[in-house]
Amino acid sequence: MTRHEILDELKKVIAPYTTNKEMLAGIDDQTDLIRDLKINSANLVDIIIDAEAKYDIEIDYDVADKMMIVGSCIDVISEKVNEKQ
Amino acid sequence: MISTGNDIVSLNAINITRTNNSKFYSKILSTPESKLYNEPLAATIPFENFVWLLWSIKESAFKYLQRITPDLLFTPVKFEVTQLQTPSEYKLINFGIGELTGTGFNDESAFKAVILFGSDTLYARSFIYNELICTVVHKSENFGETYWGIKYINDGQYDNQSKKVREFLIQNLQRLASFDNIIIDKNQHGIPVIILGTKEMLIPASLSHHEHFIAYSFQYKRS
Repeated sequence: MTRHEILDELKKVIAPYTTNKEMLAGIDDQTDLIRDLKINSANLVDIIIDAEAKYDIEIDYDVADKMMIVGSCIDVISEKVNEKQ
Repeated sequence: MISTGNDIVSLNAINITRTNNSKFYSKILSTPESKLYNEPLAATIPFENFVWLLWSIKESAFKYLQRITPDLLFTPVKFEVTQLQTPSEYKLINFGIGELTGTGFNDESAFKAVILFGSDTLYARSFIYNELICTVVHKSENFGETYWGIKYINDGQYDNQSKKVREFLIQNLQRLASFDNIIIDKNQHGIPVIILGTKEMLIPASLSHHEHFIAYSFQYKRS
């Protein structure tokens, strides 16, 4: 999967947790889930769990702290998807 | 450096089924922490509230330390809750639609916890109501200079939560002294700062909001 493909899917994972749909449409590597998309921190675990289900991967707790910035989310997902192949 | 950290969780917003799934709670709790949910505690609160209580404690601890180390990232399982004590006279009641403010904590009504993060030891006090869990973290067990508040708001939209929690904090700061022209801003790291006129005040404050509930904590030494 390319980074672009992961980003497109990631938008769908994030969508239920943000009301800022305009910002979501234009997210990039620098977008901060909490500060920019105004996602409540209590939903970060939901996003990790949903991403795990979407890509059939397991995201270790020790990389969970990287799931705050869109670019880092893509890095983590990309790495896990590649490990699986 | 003086700091403070708080967090609030609206229990109406949590997914109970998901929270009880080990895939979910293992992202928040370590195995030793799961054992804190012992028989007396299980008789007091359901497991999902225990999970979110620990989340609230860990997030408050993170916010406390983030003011000191702005680059710190939040990984819940790296914050270890080593002790959790149920208040002696705990009774689960409704918070309702009002507000509650205080200084320090009455040990008969607040949950007490100890958190380790690296070489840091922090202390937490939490309230659990039917609708919410709210925590404040400090570096010592003396919360005598810790001011806190919890409030229900009608409009739970994100932007309104953010606006209302700032107003709530300012209103309660102004009860302590004649602080005119106070504004609450965030610094470059996203940490709340209190500005009086053009100067940042040395009063650390922490803000939190979740759906219809807002909360603050701050440290203030009366002269």
